[in-house]
Amino acid sequence: VDERRLKDSFARVAAHGDEVALFFYSHLFLGNPELRDMFPVSMAGQRDRLLGALGRIVAAVSDLDSLLPFAADLGRDHRKFGTLAEHYPVVGASLLATLAHFSGTEWTQDLERDWTQAYTVVAQAMTEAADDDATRNPPAWEATVVGHERRTTEIAVLRVAPGAAFSYVPGQSVAVECAARPRLWRFYSMANAPRDDGSVDFHVRILDGGMVSSALARGTGVGSRLRLGAPAGTLRLDLSAGRDVLLAAGSTGLAPLKAIIEQAAGLDQPPRVHLVFGARTAAGLYDLADLEEMSGRWPWLTVTAAVSAEPGYPGENGTVADVISRRVPVTDQDAYICGSSAMVTATVRQLRSLGLATDHIHVEDFGWSES
Amino acid sequence: MSATRELLTPERVRSVTFTTTRLGRRGVDEAEVRAFCEWAAAGVGRLRTEKDLLEAEVSRLRERLLQGKGNQEAEQPGDVHLQAVSVLSKAQQTADRCVADAQDYSRELVQEARLRRDELLREAKVRAAAILEEARTSAADSDRAREAGAMLGEAERQGLDQEIAYLRTFSDVCRTHLRAYLESLTRSVEEWERAERAGLTAVRKSAARALVHCQHELAGGAAGLAGLVCLGRVG
Repeated sequence: VDERRLKDSFARVAAHGDEVALFFYSHLFLGNPELRDMFPVSMAGQRDRLLGALGRIVAAVSDLDSLLPFAADLGRDHRKFGTLAEHYPVVGASLLATLAHFSGTEWTQDLERDWTQAYTVVAQAMTEAADDDATRNPPAWEATVVGHERRTTEIAVLRVAPGAAFSYVPGQSVAVECAARPRLWRFYSMANAPRDDGSVDFHVRILDGGMVSSALARGTGVGSRLRLGAPAGTLRLDLSAGRDVLLAAGSTGLAPLKAIIEQAAGLDQPPRVHLVFGARTAAGLYDLADLEEMSGRWPWLTVTAAVSAEPGYPGENGTVADVISRRVPVTDQDAYICGSSAMVTATVRQLRSLGLATDHIHVEDFGWSES
Repeated sequence: MSATRELLTPERVRSVTFTTTRLGRRGVDEAEVRAFCEWAAAGVGRLRTEKDLLEAEVSRLRERLLQGKGNQEAEQPGDVHLQAVSVLSKAQQTADRCVADAQDYSRELVQEARLRRDELLREAKVRAAAILEEARTSAADSDRAREAGAMLGEAERQGLDQEIAYLRTFSDVCRTHLRAYLESLTRSVEEWERAERAGLTAVRKSAARALVHCQHELAGGAAGLAGLVCLGRVG
């Protein structure tokens, strides 16, 4: 494969932007109408993801050490959509037709051969990883809602029971699909350390105009069915350095950090943990009762609640970043941050200005913004 | 030799044998040779037709292949037509836009509703605090009043009621007096203005008069007020 030629070719094609993925999917569905049902009605987000993945693959095309693990993840991840080995050739054909169409007269036999080879390598890595995963895990976990508690107008806490063994590391998250919004998958963090009965909690905040969050919080109740993808995410408790732990949670960003607290509680020698839990209003501190009960039970755990937009709140007023600088002596802790993009950005900036090393800062950004 | 339906092959031609003729005449059977030639000719003819057909087919395919190079989409049978792709793409974009519009609209509605809710909550909280404060004050007042009331005898209460009635009347009288006084002041000022317009001398005179009148009125008013106030205090 001529790497330079492939990259140049992709750059030329990608310059057509959204048109490329639009053409690709139309081509794919016209040739294989049965595949349309595997996708949601609106394809806008899907097209962005396709171009993103193609870009990553092309960028790493000659660096197999990073390309193959990426392709393997992609292959495993595609199992939940119902992707089968037989889908790969038809996708490849539509991809080549798309590339040829946007390359125009610059499409040559050499290019066609390069692209075919690159696609074959990626498709093979994807199918192999999927096949390997299939020996251990279902394509997706069918789960039943066993508890549904609306804590505020915007926040609900769901407890679900997966139908098959579902193992994960505290701090990880999972793609969730509900019956009311088929083929729309959204990531939620498990809010507890693995339990004996296998049940998992999710903290769901209704986002303005959010299709899945509103369906989970309002249109779902005990007995509803959900599907879970494979656990993912890199936020996890690192105890190798034996440092104290600072947890910074904005709203439902609390979920993965609560799972980490529960994990710490299971250790022989839990580290000292300070959780700063922030919300706009006092009502938004939807899980404070539980957290205070935990800090009462475990002497190594300190919980500080912060309210940023309710003047007259009797406790700490201000953002999580404000309250950390005011109340938490930052030395050399390991910090774990989860919340809205704005909250994560502000907190990271604050911690760095307080002198915390970048490699002590662990972040989970859900990409939502608090209005 | 009568195998006219057999295929013409090199082996068949090489292995052909003819019956030799009867004694006295040398050579092979003429009828057999003639039949063989007939058969061979038919075979060659068939091959040539076949070859022509194949040649035509090859050149047709080659031509299609060359055309296909320039127009990938139309090349293979069963392949997706460019126009169909464009139609489906447009339909998809329309669907995407509908979904996005609906989502935007619901986002706006929810945002607006949340702002309104926050505002109402804030107002209600302020109002509740004010009502509470008022209730607390009036409770304290009524406590004080009750304490005071408990210490007073019936006769004293009647005396106080009379005094309240008197003070009410007195305030009415005060108001009437003040109004009359203000009206007379206004009249004086108007007179002064008229005099000014009437001319310099007249102005001087009239101004002096008006001034005297004013001073008089003021003094009278002040004395009246002082009297009233004294009266009020005594009452």
